[in-house]
Amino acid sequence: MAELVLAAVTPHNPLLWRAMTDPVPDDLQPIAANFARIREAVVSHEIDVLVVIGTDHLRQFFYDNSPAFAIGKADAYHGTWENEVRTFGMEYAELTGHRELADRIAGRSVQPDAIDFSVSLEWRLDHAFVIPLQYVRPELDIPVVPIHANASMPPVPSVRRFVALGEHLRRAIDEWDSDARVGILTSGHMANDVGGPRTFAGSPDPAFDALAAGWMRDGDLDGAIRVCSEVDRLTEAGSMTSQFLNAVAALAAMGGRAADVVDVPESRFSTSPFFLWSTH
Amino acid sequence: MSRYMVDKFIRAVELGDATVAEYVADPPAFVERWLAGGGTPAGPTDDRVLTEAERAAFAARDFGALYSLGAHPYLLWHFTEAVYEHEYTEGFGWRELVERYRAAVAPQGLVDYIP
Repeated sequence: MAELVLAAVTPHNPLLWRAMTDPVPDDLQPIAANFARIREAVVSHEIDVLVVIGTDHLRQFFYDNSPAFAIGKADAYHGTWENEVRTFGMEYAELTGHRELADRIAGRSVQPDAIDFSVSLEWRLDHAFVIPLQYVRPELDIPVVPIHANASMPPVPSVRRFVALGEHLRRAIDEWDSDARVGILTSGHMANDVGGPRTFAGSPDPAFDALAAGWMRDGDLDGAIRVCSEVDRLTEAGSMTSQFLNAVAALAAMGGRAADVVDVPESRFSTSPFFLWSTH
Repeated sequence: MSRYMVDKFIRAVELGDATVAEYVADPPAFVERWLAGGGTPAGPTDDRVLTEAERAAFAARDFGALYSLGAHPYLLWHFTEAVYEHEYTEGFGWRELVERYRAAVAPQGLVDYIP
């Protein structure tokens, strides 16, 4: 059977692409070091396929048709958008898909009981997917199953649906008749505000950041569910803070156990989440 | 109020380099051209409607007004960056634009941006 050997949560802050270049500035060195640690874990765990959970930023998906959870079933994906190349200096990327695992996760002719996925066979992935992959696997040679979790266009799924997503991923991978070694890579934010009153002013809510790191450090899935169920609490913590829910999905996929690595460095940007669960 | 249309217009400008260039060259003219385009009763759905206040805000690149009209914050910031960055000078760059943006939106607090 396939094995879920690693789950990682990283930031996808696209401003890093121009800022975190050699020589890496002092305040960004912990971020570079954490990406390197996860990059090395992906190598040492000999991962064959990555399930990548991210939140599209109103590029591929918009309010004319906004899925709660969308899974990619394409053979290949284009990476990043013209506006992200312009604004962030990002580089276009080409990624290979993994149809077999996508079918295992989302069903081929019938949806699984746990999650009603939207399906996409033509999808340009935005920075929420491309940035983590470019840092964690610069060769971009591991096939991916992208999953968009809507944490950007209210109404967003409740935290319990993110938990269900994580638990479903664990189950689908465990039951996949394959010798593949699978990793889950999710990206999101701690407290983060883009376009609101606290835009680009460091962390908009250090108290939320401390709570969120604690849930990962202590394996406190119930605590995460309790606080993230308070929609107003997430909104108050910044306009994009609901993307922390992607990290909750990773925690759920790992059975709610404490992460092996929890590091949330502060820098010129909002707090950067790095959580890693591994098997060695 | 038509927050959906505000967000739709922002995307129509911000997603591509060519549309950013066309908009900044003459914002009021771009707004009128955009409104005149769109779908037909028999064609693919592509509705385009803006209120007077929304048209005026886009014609003036007035991000403070667009924030109060309920633009999606993420879209609005990146729209602002895209349509002002050609005006960067030695004394007015990204950081100054961020500060100008924050000064416009912070007094308004959290505005309901859900369409």
